[in-house]
Amino acid sequence: MTAETIIQSLASGLLMGLLYGLIAVGLALIFGLMDVVNFAHGEFLMIAMYATFFLFAFFAIDPLLAAPLVAAALFVFGALVYLLIVRFAVRAKANAGMVQIFSTFGLAIVMRGLAQFFFTPDYRSVTHSWLGGKTVSIAGIFLPVPQLAGALVSILAFGALYFFINRTDFGRALEATREDAGAVALVGIDKNRVFALGWGLGAALVGLAGAIMAMFFYIYPDVGASFALIAYVTVALGGFGSVFGAFAGGIIVGLVEASTALLLPPSLKSVGIYAVYLLVVFIRPRGLFGSI
Amino acid sequence: MTVTRRNVLLGATAAAALLPIASRAQASEVVIGIIYPFSGASAQIGVDAQKAFETAAEVINNKYDFDLPLARDAGLPGLGGAKIRLVFADHQADPQKGRAEAERLITQEKVCAIVGTYQSAVAVTVSQICDRYQIPFISADNSSPSLHRRGLKFYFRAAPHDEMFSGAMFDFFDAMKKKGTKIETLSLFHEDTIFGTDSGNAQLKLAADRGYKVLADIKYRANSPSLSAEVQQLKAANADVLMPSSYTTDGILLVKTMAELGYKPNAIVAQDAGFSEKALYDAVGDKLEGVISRGSFSLDLAAKRPMVGKINAMFKEKSGKDLNDFSSRQFMGLIVMADAINRAKSTDGDKIREALVATDMPGESTIMPWKRVKFDETGQNNDADPVLLQYTGGKFVTIFPPQAAVAEAVWPMK
Amino acid sequence: MDTSFAQRRRRDLIIAAVFAVLAALVPLFVKDVYVQNIMVLTLMYAALSQSWNILSGYCGQISLGHALYFGLGAYTTTLLFTKFGVLPWFGMLGGGLISALIAMALGYPCFRLRGHYFVIATIVIAEIALLLFQNWNWAGAALGIDVPVHGDSWLRFQFTRSKLPYFYFALALACVAWLVTWWLEDSKWGYWWRAVKDNPDAAESLGVVVFNSKMGAAAVSAFLTAVGGAFYAQFVSYIDPESVMGFQFSLLMALPAVLGGIGTLWGPVLGAIILIPLTELTRSFIGGSGRGVDLIVYGTLIVLISLARPEGLVGLFSRRRKGAVQ
Repeated sequence: MTAETIIQSLASGLLMGLLYGLIAVGLALIFGLMDVVNFAHGEFLMIAMYATFFLFAFFAIDPLLAAPLVAAALFVFGALVYLLIVRFAVRAKANAGMVQIFSTFGLAIVMRGLAQFFFTPDYRSVTHSWLGGKTVSIAGIFLPVPQLAGALVSILAFGALYFFINRTDFGRALEATREDAGAVALVGIDKNRVFALGWGLGAALVGLAGAIMAMFFYIYPDVGASFALIAYVTVALGGFGSVFGAFAGGIIVGLVEASTALLLPPSLKSVGIYAVYLLVVFIRPRGLFGSI
Repeated sequence: MTVTRRNVLLGATAAAALLPIASRAQASEVVIGIIYPFSGASAQIGVDAQKAFETAAEVINNKYDFDLPLARDAGLPGLGGAKIRLVFADHQADPQKGRAEAERLITQEKVCAIVGTYQSAVAVTVSQICDRYQIPFISADNSSPSLHRRGLKFYFRAAPHDEMFSGAMFDFFDAMKKKGTKIETLSLFHEDTIFGTDSGNAQLKLAADRGYKVLADIKYRANSPSLSAEVQQLKAANADVLMPSSYTTDGILLVKTMAELGYKPNAIVAQDAGFSEKALYDAVGDKLEGVISRGSFSLDLAAKRPMVGKINAMFKEKSGKDLNDFSSRQFMGLIVMADAINRAKSTDGDKIREALVATDMPGESTIMPWKRVKFDETGQNNDADPVLLQYTGGKFVTIFPPQAAVAEAVWPMK
Repeated sequence: MDTSFAQRRRRDLIIAAVFAVLAALVPLFVKDVYVQNIMVLTLMYAALSQSWNILSGYCGQISLGHALYFGLGAYTTTLLFTKFGVLPWFGMLGGGLISALIAMALGYPCFRLRGHYFVIATIVIAEIALLLFQNWNWAGAALGIDVPVHGDSWLRFQFTRSKLPYFYFALALACVAWLVTWWLEDSKWGYWWRAVKDNPDAAESLGVVVFNSKMGAAAVSAFLTAVGGAFYAQFVSYIDPESVMGFQFSLLMALPAVLGGIGTLWGPVLGAIILIPLTELTRSFIGGSGRGVDLIVYGTLIVLISLARPEGLVGLFSRRRKGAVQ
């Protein structure tokens, strides 16, 4: 194993990790807001990728330009999912936790079925894009441009989110609703509106991730499954309730995955991720930066 | 001749007496079960397979001027022109469900034979059940070599298995070496389910037997979100030939990642699967000029046998795709089974089995480049010669073995 | 209150006995093997879900990694039989014990975790095991293990065509799982768990004993799940890592209890009776289309039931009883 191999692997791992962070941040945001884990998160990613693909296939819109459109579409979708399903799930008088898990899990199955019904199970790809297939090479280390763009979007998105939560009125409303939904009602904040916007925002972030992913990943109805578990582990590793935790979690997951593949047979590389998660929570039961 | 009232009556009675027989003969049909994944991650395979089987049924049930068993008659002449009817069942890539569906088809739908299954793990349980109920099973497209070695009496496979496929690749390497091409080292890249594991094992063994050095033997997790680390290792090994055994999803990601990491092997010789799927070439075909894949089918056979082109056109009308390695094997699977049922002149499992054992179909009356279809005592057809195909100019051409080749191999690939 | 509780328990036991006898008679009238196959699976999932319910419903430790124990049971039995000729009956027991030990070893660090941290830990532990088996050549790796079947035998617990022996075994397993749950409800463990659920502060004072009781629940739950896995291996006579340790099994064990009523005695049974035939029938009769309609129907039902009946379908039956207890 040469130094070049190691550096290349770590660089790829870092880029992938930033992308994992971007995929996971929506999940972290929604959880932080209302303690709900969206088990259809992978399927949100899947429809974002399909949306990017269809914008490309029918209107020749490059994924980079499509990203804001897809994010907007996912915003509406996320808000609707809250208003039509999750709103009722959190209201459940008994077994609220279970109802949330299984209502979003059922939604995931329906979304896969619908994708298969309308889009067929064929594998799709965005074949030409401005960045797709391009790569920059620095001293023998190759950095694919789509992933670099993904890393950049990820950093920007986390920065914007940090600013948004801490510096804007709406962010404070989000935070306050999280702390005490009953009390905010007294000051005239509609809890449902805040939560719906939170879901919309979380879904919009997955939308961004999906648009970036579509540049270099294949698309089919089950594609979300490959990323869903990684996203959950990323959020939990960083700590539930911490948006910054998802960012750190993503980077750690990416790096651990890449280095495990160097040490063990690559078919076991996920074992490294899972082992690090277990190690972290056994020492710190609330993840690295978790508050809950 | 005057038509008397009596004659009319007689005629009517005679017609009435004949009618049930005639209609019975017409209605009589032979039901064959088809078990594939129609939902889940490999649903696309099942959907395409359905079209391939429907094409085969159309050829059998109607008259076509093809040199293919049963094509020239409508239905099965051995059973008084009975038509075949297909019943499709979804196994969702789960061995337990495959088993349950096989039992349902046998006991409820009264199928007299079963064809399946794409996933080898499901073929294990489906063939087990078929053996228990003495219903013949044809593995149309399972390539795991262990399948026919389990002492099952009702198991048949007309197509080659992975050891035969891999053997053809190494024959090709040997031939290329004789011509002076440098092929000494190999990198194996295979997924971690039954297909990749079997293929990897066979290749590892053949490489040792024939004196090729394996620089990297990389087993990866199917449907991984990223293959960067794996490709990095392939690049570091930089063997003369890269030999991937991957399904479509991983194949697409592999090729994209190779391009991103600046890895350009001298040659890629792939174990079919993803590398014969249209979706892969739609996605990354521009990076695959000169890739070689094993196969059991090649469209360029149409030049020698015009029916191949016509059958392909029929299939394309249904599915929008050309016949590929999988759909051609599925098509032939049903033809071989129907041919045996026709010769058995019965829908009894034992009789069909006897007919299958006696099968001796010359290669010319198939759509495959095979020598013939003849099963050994384990139910495997050892005369199904695999071919190697090279992807050039947007289509596949046969480059090996010499008797089937229509072009010379381009080596190294572009 | 005590007397009505005792009355209710006696009535539950009688209802269960009547149901078991009725169920045992069904195969005398239903001869179709496909339907019998669905019944076997229904009983198996009722038993598995009941076992899952002990740890996750009563004890409140939501596990989405029970496929681990299911797979361990299946693998222990099959490996002992194919490699060493050990009869599956002993394999079943061995698999159960190994699973119980592993459940306790894992419970020790995991029970400190709360909520979703615990859930995700159970998922990733099962995934690690899946990956290890997938790469373990001696245990067949991805190729799996094909159990050789030589005719019908109770000794080897193999039957070529008949489903009846499997049916009665699954029925017995479901009854055992139900009885264990029934017994636990009235045990001191059951009281502690209820106390902890009603009043989290009680958990502090009961700390150590509750921790130990959770370990006990994990062991019992894992043991029964592993026996179910061993049964499955015999029933299908082929196992591979994906088909016995995959995440979908963890979900399939949880779903009946969740739909029927989590933490209730009858929930898993009711859930399995509705869910399993539904899954099988949607796949068999609308799954062949390749259009994913079965998924749409199945998923919609899960969403609707979990929203409309958060306490589980068992709530439909117990309104009167609830009034009586309160």
